[in-house]
Amino acid sequence: MIVHRGKTIEEVIELLAKYKDSKIIAGGTDVILDIKDNKIFPEALIDISSIEELKGIELKGDFIEIGAGTTFTEIAEDEIFEKNLHGLKKACKLIGSPQIRNRGTVGGNIVNGSPAADSIPPLLCLESTLIFESLEGIRKVKLEDYLKSKYRIKEHELLTKIRFKNPEGLLNFIKLAIRKALAISRMSIATLIELDEEEKVKDIKVASGSLGRYPMRELEVEEFLLGTILGEYTVDEAVNILQNAMEKRLKGRPTLPYKKRAVKSLLKEALNQRIRSSRRVIS
Amino acid sequence: MIEIQLTVNGKDYTVNIEEDKRLLDVLREDLGFTGVKEGCSEGECGACTVIMDGKTVNSCMVMGFQANGSNIVTIEGLEKDGQLHPIQQAFIDIGAVQCGYCTPGMILSAKALLDKNPNPTKEEIREGISGNLCRCTGYSKIVKAVEKARGYEDES
Ligand code: FES
Ligand code: FES
Repeated sequence: MIVHRGKTIEEVIELLAKYKDSKIIAGGTDVILDIKDNKIFPEALIDISSIEELKGIELKGDFIEIGAGTTFTEIAEDEIFEKNLHGLKKACKLIGSPQIRNRGTVGGNIVNGSPAADSIPPLLCLESTLIFESLEGIRKVKLEDYLKSKYRIKEHELLTKIRFKNPEGLLNFIKLAIRKALAISRMSIATLIELDEEEKVKDIKVASGSLGRYPMRELEVEEFLLGTILGEYTVDEAVNILQNAMEKRLKGRPTLPYKKRAVKSLLKEALNQRIRSSRRVIS
Repeated sequence: MIEIQLTVNGKDYTVNIEEDKRLLDVLREDLGFTGVKEGCSEGECGACTVIMDGKTVNSCMVMGFQANGSNIVTIEGLEKDGQLHPIQQAFIDIGAVQCGYCTPGMILSAKALLDKNPNPTKEEIREGISGNLCRCTGYSKIVKAVEKARGYEDES
């Protein structure tokens, strides 16, 4: 195995073109295990963890761009995510342990595609776009489409940025708080909700983690809640709709009854928190 | 083999390592810092914690070549002039060490926390050491020891 420590994006995409069988390593939290377990035998291992241009969070007009090599710690500590984008910060703070958050990157979370990758549901609510670079140029893919796996990363591409519009609404993230050892407990819900002057839902995005094969938007729930006033009835009905959607998706899985019950508390909590924060005056 | 250079506990080293060696193995086998412990080997237990460029990392989750040019602190780097570091002393005073296997990593996590936040609450301490598992103590003495070591920078 040849190992390389990339210094620039340009250098890395050239290496990716040169070595057909290569693997990118950033935080290493997924890749090292795969190497150790002999799941992968790359010809070249290309480290991107010290490439400065892949790091950082930038406000560009109405848009926010996060470098793919930005760590969870860096996201959780950035002021940009203090207010309406707090849900992304919360998700990153709940990942792994301090040690994992210090190394693990948002790009790795996306590219390695675990169904439980916590940073993804909030990024789905934000309708994020992924930016890939290769010798052929730049390719943009919607995160949602990417996850549906039709547009998997091509061997010679590097995910460089995640980009989304700074939203009007309030982003939230709720994760089931159960010990890590229980793999099926890694369920999460993210919501992005904007209310109008009459407290009606003007815009809503809901995304889930671990309720299917990959994190996804929950469109039926969004459709139902749009234009309503959030309250006891609408929240209960939204839970029903989500449970029915899961029923179809996870039919026959032994975890379904458990997940249905768990999702109830997750979605309820997310929506109720939104109701509570709208009563407070948001400055 | 490739050559890497790194600083460990303030001293510069140049070593030739196998490409697939983890930082954990480089520190233990090539450089003799056996205070870095291997537990789970998969990023769950924190026994292999070191401070890399000011941040705690699991050294089993870093490839040796990725650490080229970095600045590492291991438990061996904490005592100064034969004096234990205040966090080490607090662990002894409170009795927060039993078998001791988790202790180096635990103390380094505590140090990284106190360096950033000299006066953490109990909650913040628990969060700060949440990546370090201890099978012996039940954590309460460890948290007490870190509480005792709080604010050590002001005193020294
Ligand atoms: S040995 Fe590295 S985290 Fe357990
Ligand atoms: S003292 Fe034995 S594992 Fe912590």
